[in-house]
Amino acid sequence: MTLPVWRTEWLTALRRRRLLVLNTLIPLAFVAPIALSSAPAVHSAAVFTVLFALFGTFGSSIPLIRDGESGLLRRYVLTGVHPGGLLLERVFANAALDLMELAPAVLVIVVARGSSAGQLAMVVPAMVLGLVAANALGVLTAALAKSVAEGALFSAVSALLLLHWAGTFRTPVPGTWQATLEIWNPFRPLHESLLAAAGAGGLDLDLVLFTIPIGVTLAVLLLITAASRYTIGLGGR
Amino acid sequence: MGPNGSGKSTLLRLVSTELPSRPGSLELFGEAFGPSGRDFRRRRDLRKKVGIVHDTPVHVEDLTGMENGLLFAELYGLSRAEALAVFANLFTSLGLDDALDVPTREYSYGMKKKLLIAEALVHDPALLIMDEPALGLDPPSRAALLRILEERSAKGVCTLAATNEPALAQELATTVVLLHEGEVVAHGSPSELLAKVGSATRIEVHVASSPSGSPTPGDPTAASMTHADLTTSDPAFAGLPADIVSVRRLPGRIVAESRSGSDVLPQLVSAVLAAGLKIERVEIREPDLTDVFTLFTGQALGPARPTSSTGL
Repeated sequence: MTLPVWRTEWLTALRRRRLLVLNTLIPLAFVAPIALSSAPAVHSAAVFTVLFALFGTFGSSIPLIRDGESGLLRRYVLTGVHPGGLLLERVFANAALDLMELAPAVLVIVVARGSSAGQLAMVVPAMVLGLVAANALGVLTAALAKSVAEGALFSAVSALLLLHWAGTFRTPVPGTWQATLEIWNPFRPLHESLLAAAGAGGLDLDLVLFTIPIGVTLAVLLLITAASRYTIGLGGR
Repeated sequence: MGPNGSGKSTLLRLVSTELPSRPGSLELFGEAFGPSGRDFRRRRDLRKKVGIVHDTPVHVEDLTGMENGLLFAELYGLSRAEALAVFANLFTSLGLDDALDVPTREYSYGMKKKLLIAEALVHDPALLIMDEPALGLDPPSRAALLRILEERSAKGVCTLAATNEPALAQELATTVVLLHEGEVVAHGSPSELLAKVGSATRIEVHVASSPSGSPTPGDPTAASMTHADLTTSDPAFAGLPADIVSVRRLPGRIVAESRSGSDVLPQLVSAVLAAGLKIERVEIREPDLTDVFTLFTGQALGPARPTSSTGL
């Protein structure tokens, strides 16, 4: 398996060195003052979660829209490659790149808030899942948008709605219908793990309980993405 | 062939399955294709057999020429080794060898077009679709492209190209389809089509439009051109020598067909001046496919390609 799109995404990112440095420094600049301050964990974790989720969503959506507008996606699709496979490669490549670029910021949180090894071990898979979900969401918003501006709007609105649904902006109340829905939300473990790492104590979620629904959620997101294949790169915009 | 907006690119996009077609309206390699959404797997299989050269070459700008080539070769399903073996010949033929390690962001339009051509040919497609294939190519690259297309044609491989270059179509095509406003107005081999317009030399007298830009009453260059022969309909052209077969008007020009080449030029120029028109330049050329288009539609296909030109 050669994964040419995965390789292209990495080569492109590594050659745009200025952008690579900016993508690493800017999240760090947002995270470091909050992590080093005495801000309550619940507020700090909300900021970190929003930042990481939007970083993944915007970073996936806008380049994809640009590639659609330039005709590059059309060229890809007309080689006979499966659009769903192409998008999957992009989602996972960009999620991996995001993880690399956000790693210094996560490290600062862990060190500044004195997180335990167990909490760090929880943050890493939660980041992976959250960034894959954010990138998949970005691909979806790109498929629906007709311009970069629309893509940015759709990305912001959909990511913030999902973050709200994940309980990022409110205190979870066990036993409510919102709490039942939350376990399906791919940003939930990201928020929970960052909450724990930011100093709110140990995780109260069973790993298995949230991993399975997340997997299903991601699968649904990506299936919907694949279903939009006739729009992306095929003259739909 | 056809003017801008005649449907050439749309036709190519339909054939390449980029646009959905009505059920039963597209048949390729013995298979019928319906609207997008159905036949998805067959469309993907078909796309593997097709090479496409769009009019605008698009690449991953941060990758080098070779990396772009390998990317698209792998998307077509070739291994890296297979792709490198094919590209070795293609890049040399097209004169790209020296630029393969340069990011395509630094390529000129012509270089990008050549790379696009190489990428479209790398998987030896059963059908090659090209939109304005020679546009932006320098003469050696153009010659190389023609040689490649001739070799493919000799092997019986089909190429479907949209062009406004009559010389290219006359040189390469086995069948030419003339499109106008989405309709086929004529089709046949270049020789069959050229036979319809005869062999008389074309003398095109380009004239200035009226100062207001709108045609004056009786202006023979009015945009609402007709097929009327001016030698019978306009007194200023009535006394021309018999060697002038016809004189017709097109927007911005008078076109005469002459059996005696440019010998009749003085009389024609006098007649145009007598009609009260200001001459900008004169072009003398042999008939080509643009004349066939004009014959069927009464409209110009594009700027003529003069064999000689006289400024007056």
